[in-house]
Amino acid sequence: MSRFFHGDSSSDSSSDEEELYSGDEATKAAEAESSEEDSSENEGDDSDSSSDDEGGKTGASRFLREASDDSDEEDEDKVTVVKSAKDKRFDELEGTIRLLENAQKISDWNALNENYDRMNRQLPTLQRDLDGKAPKMYIKSIAQLETQVMEAFEKQKVTPKKMNPIAQKSMNALRQKIRKNNKEYMTDLEAYRKDPEEFMKEDVVEETAPAPKKPKKKLLDNDTTLDANDEGFTMVGAGGKAMIYTPESILKHLRTILEARGRKNTDRLEQIKIMERLLDVAVTDYQRIRVLLMLIATRFDLTSGTGSQMSQEQWKLAQQGIAQLLDILEEHEEIVVVDSGAENPEDDEKAPEPSIKGVLEIPGSVPSFVERLDDELTRVLQSIDPHTAEYVERLQDEPSLYSNLVRAMLYTERLKANDKLTVPQPQESINRVIMRRLEHLYFKPASVVTVLEEGTWKSVPETLDSKITPRSEGTDINNLVQTLAVYLFKNAEGIIRARAMLCQIYFLALHDQYYKSRDMMLMSHLQDTIASFDVNTQILFNRTLTQVGLCAFRQGLVYECQTALQDICGSQRQKELLAQGLQIQRYSQITPEQERLERQRQLPFHMHINLELLECVYLTCSMLLEIPTLAQAGSSPELRKRVISKSYRRMLEYHERQIFTGPPENTRDHVMQASKALAAGEWKKASDFILSIKIWELLPDSEGIKAMLGQQIQEEGLRTYLFTYAPFYDTLQVTKLAEMFELGQQKVTALVSKMIHHEELAAALDQVNGAIIFRKGVELSRLQSLALTLSDKASGLIESNERVLEQRTQGTANAFERQGGRGGRGGRGGRGGGRGRGGSGFASRGGGGQGGGQQFTGGALGSAIRAQ
Amino acid sequence: MADAHVPHVAHPPSAEDILDGASGQADGPHNPAKQHSLLPKMIPHLDRHLVFPLIQFEEDQADEEEPPAELVQLKFELLKQTNMTDFVGDLDAQTQGLSERPAEYAQKREEVLQRRELFQEESSKLQDLLADPDVLNNLRSDKVANLNYLKENHGVTVEMVNTLYDFGQFQYSCGDYHSASELLYSFRILVNLLFTSTESTDNDKLSAATWGRLACEILTTNWESAMEEVQKVRENIDQRLFSNPLAQLQHRAWLIHWSLFPFFNHEPARETLTELFFSPTYINTIQTVCPWILRYLAAAVITNRNRNFGKNSGGQYQKQIKDLVRIVRQEGYEYSDPVTDFVRALYVDFDFEEAQKKLVEADEILRSDFFLVAAADAFKDSARHLISESYCKIHQRIDIRQVNPLLVLPLARGLLTLEQGSLQPPWSFAR
Repeated sequence: MSRFFHGDSSSDSSSDEEELYSGDEATKAAEAESSEEDSSENEGDDSDSSSDDEGGKTGASRFLREASDDSDEEDEDKVTVVKSAKDKRFDELEGTIRLLENAQKISDWNALNENYDRMNRQLPTLQRDLDGKAPKMYIKSIAQLETQVMEAFEKQKVTPKKMNPIAQKSMNALRQKIRKNNKEYMTDLEAYRKDPEEFMKEDVVEETAPAPKKPKKKLLDNDTTLDANDEGFTMVGAGGKAMIYTPESILKHLRTILEARGRKNTDRLEQIKIMERLLDVAVTDYQRIRVLLMLIATRFDLTSGTGSQMSQEQWKLAQQGIAQLLDILEEHEEIVVVDSGAENPEDDEKAPEPSIKGVLEIPGSVPSFVERLDDELTRVLQSIDPHTAEYVERLQDEPSLYSNLVRAMLYTERLKANDKLTVPQPQESINRVIMRRLEHLYFKPASVVTVLEEGTWKSVPETLDSKITPRSEGTDINNLVQTLAVYLFKNAEGIIRARAMLCQIYFLALHDQYYKSRDMMLMSHLQDTIASFDVNTQILFNRTLTQVGLCAFRQGLVYECQTALQDICGSQRQKELLAQGLQIQRYSQITPEQERLERQRQLPFHMHINLELLECVYLTCSMLLEIPTLAQAGSSPELRKRVISKSYRRMLEYHERQIFTGPPENTRDHVMQASKALAAGEWKKASDFILSIKIWELLPDSEGIKAMLGQQIQEEGLRTYLFTYAPFYDTLQVTKLAEMFELGQQKVTALVSKMIHHEELAAALDQVNGAIIFRKGVELSRLQSLALTLSDKASGLIESNERVLEQRTQGTANAFERQGGRGGRGGRGGRGGGRGRGGSGFASRGGGGQGGGQQFTGGALGSAIRAQ
Repeated sequence: MADAHVPHVAHPPSAEDILDGASGQADGPHNPAKQHSLLPKMIPHLDRHLVFPLIQFEEDQADEEEPPAELVQLKFELLKQTNMTDFVGDLDAQTQGLSERPAEYAQKREEVLQRRELFQEESSKLQDLLADPDVLNNLRSDKVANLNYLKENHGVTVEMVNTLYDFGQFQYSCGDYHSASELLYSFRILVNLLFTSTESTDNDKLSAATWGRLACEILTTNWESAMEEVQKVRENIDQRLFSNPLAQLQHRAWLIHWSLFPFFNHEPARETLTELFFSPTYINTIQTVCPWILRYLAAAVITNRNRNFGKNSGGQYQKQIKDLVRIVRQEGYEYSDPVTDFVRALYVDFDFEEAQKKLVEADEILRSDFFLVAAADAFKDSARHLISESYCKIHQRIDIRQVNPLLVLPLARGLLTLEQGSLQPPWSFAR
């Protein structure tokens, strides 16, 4: 590798960072720092030492300074900033060192440890300014530190119990770090130890030296660069050498970029610029592909950290890059980019030879690129406020992403079919791309997908077609999803297969095919194994389940809907389960790490299931099921225990406790007041409350759904009415009932018949008079049921009393045993004790059961004595 | 044997034509019986020899003197691949309107006869051996020893045993079910005597032979041994196909269809088969693959009533009805015909008028269904009982004149039925 290049890039990136520090983006820097601090101590230490390594290498070549300085000069403005920033950093270091010294004085190991880390973090940039040499004051302070730590350690050995554990820990950590770190500055340290004063003096000279030099050179260099740019492809590379981009040198440049990749100080933007130029220069397709592969990868590298998203511009460029790559690959069948089986030639000079079968293989992975592109967009969408125009704007990028996905799928499909490759391509890459495609489709209504598909096929060259999803069948969206999913069932396994299944079920449920989706859901048996899948799949499972529930609701299947939604909505953790926002949990303690992961899992807003609608549907269904059940249970405690929805009951109880109830404000209020009305038999009022909820408008065919709800309320109202008021009637005319609930007479008869047949209602129909005759004496009167409740409670009381006794007496029983054991030999020694606890001794017979004979005598004696 | 059935069911060469032909008849919307004909749905699950009686029945049902052309065509397509050359030839002649069999059939016939001779020769020795008591006495439970014994003393080879199987299959194809059954039986005995069960090819053949024998027994209406075979096949499915759920499902579906034959023709079988159908795995199979079986299950459960009445198994009957209602209700979205509709109307909607309407339709269907025709009267009777039973349970006072039409009965008999049906007696009848 060239040192020139390294010097170049490092100083560039430093100038880049300077901007950060000086500019108003200081907050960002702070963020970066804090995130760094989060990462474990070890990590920080490692990276320090590695950067120190680099520093060591360049440090040796002092004569390189000019070169590295020169490269700085490309931008005039930056240089002026450099000075102040550099000084600032020195100040910072000084500050840290002062803190260190202070901490040293009071032996605050914790603070010492922290400050030491901070100092080490500040070091690399300073080192760069000093051409790889560590600042003198740094050396001084670490030397002092080392001695102190050593002393302290020795001291500690002698008097072990002096230090508190935290300080102890910090000190040990610090000692380790110092030992490791100081090895690298061995020479400097020795020099310092020999003659501290001399050593420090030298420093002053050095420090001031580079500063004045800079401005001189600048003007000169600037001219040359300008010249070079005018000429064509000349650019000034590291060390003042002109970098000439010619087709021949492309691969060489790529190699250097590749080698610099992943290093801490590489300036990726600069690399991207270089590669863009290279792309312009490239003449052969091979070169173009190579550059593109590298370029796209580097663009993605720009945002490798967490918490940062790709800018729209970069994302679009990456997307176009992939499109361009696919263009080339689609045009030239003899060149392929493959995951496995190919290697870049060692020798950059020669043009690569195609393999025996006439195919030129280049290592790289198109599926990975499109996957990454997809991920990046998702990350961007996660971070944008969904109610802004920006979100919509970014969302408009999705079609281009989708067309990339489809083209990548076509490409992988072709690769799989291509028998000229040295190594057959794995099935897995097709599966991955298809899965991505499916994930872009499953949550969208068919009409949207149709538009998307049409647009996509337009962008794909006419000549290409897919075997899996032929162009001709593109219009039938149901079929498309089905084909994709079935392909994955057949060819994939494990998670992808499960996900494909879930996506298909979701899609079916979204399109009102309840039975089909339910059957598939049941037949997949995923509910047994879902706990063993990764979190994202579990979220998808939850989403699917929810969607199936909503679908059932749209079909008017209240019971099915309620059971499907029970798990998700009954838990009060909908947001978390569906990954649609972070749950603010008051009492739980999530570590920042967990929270970060959770943030990463969030779904972008356009995929959300409307939570309010979900809640509304769930509560309404619960109402329709719970209110008649509650009415049926009456005051009988046995039946009241049968809870269908716990959360609904809780809400209802809360609502009933309120002294004043105003007009309903939100969905929940509406449902609660409707429940109250329904329980009182006022179905019309209930129906009004429910139907005035605005959110129903969000559902397709809201009129039909309202009609369905109206009818359900009528029927359940009738049932509730009968349950509640049956004790007050002897007979009841069916026509009267029909009138009351505005139901057909036939319907009423059927409902009543059903209730009688299931023995829910103690009554019989009188066909001749068209009446319901209630049987008396079967239902419990209020007094009776209250008496029953009382007796239940009493028995409960007794039970709990006995339990308490048991606990107590088990203690005493043991005491007895001990006493008895000792006293048994001593005749009646135990009697005194037995007398005192006679009563409890008895009880323990039931409870303890292992007390033994002695204890009983004790008890018997005790009671006998009491009787006297 | 089922080797012969399995492939043809899996990718029936002529099944398409058969289905087309059969669904052609189901066009008439006026006739509920035809509208709800299950023939096209059942054919893929049956062996072609088993389909034949069904089609024959269909033909008998047709009113016209001449059997409809498409039925003849259907039969021809069905049996074309069998060895029953004479019959197929006749059918061909009939479809083409010829007075005589086309000449090719004579030639085919010769071929078949020759092959039969050949088979007979090859297998005669083994059959003789099996008939010989001395040989049988020398066989022990040790399979290897048996094989050695037969090999050394009688020159029996594995190929010879397999010939037995092939011959059985051949005979079956010729329509000689008796001898096919015997051949397969001997084959199975020999395999069990001679080979350890680890050899998978023999395993496949063994289960195929079991299927084949089941078909033979059904076709020779030998119900008792057919039931034995059903049991064997069931065990086979549970044990051998354990690791292949898809095949298990398919085989179960076949077994369900095949066992319909003994189900409605052999009284003692009904109870066991009802239990079989209600067992979780089989009810799942019905729900997933062939919901139309619910018609037969419903009919069987309802007619079971009479038989169980005296035996104090009312509890079980109630449970069966309950299960039936649950499943009929669950599957309502996938399958419904008048029989299941009747159950639904009576027990889900409590709509007695609807139930009565459906009962009339169901009666018609039963009378035109190959399996159910014999049970039609019993069904109607039991259904009436059920209606009156649940009617009386719900009503305290009944106008007998209004109820009568519900039961589709004259007044006097209606009263009688009501009295039989009402389990809690002192209801007052208003005239």
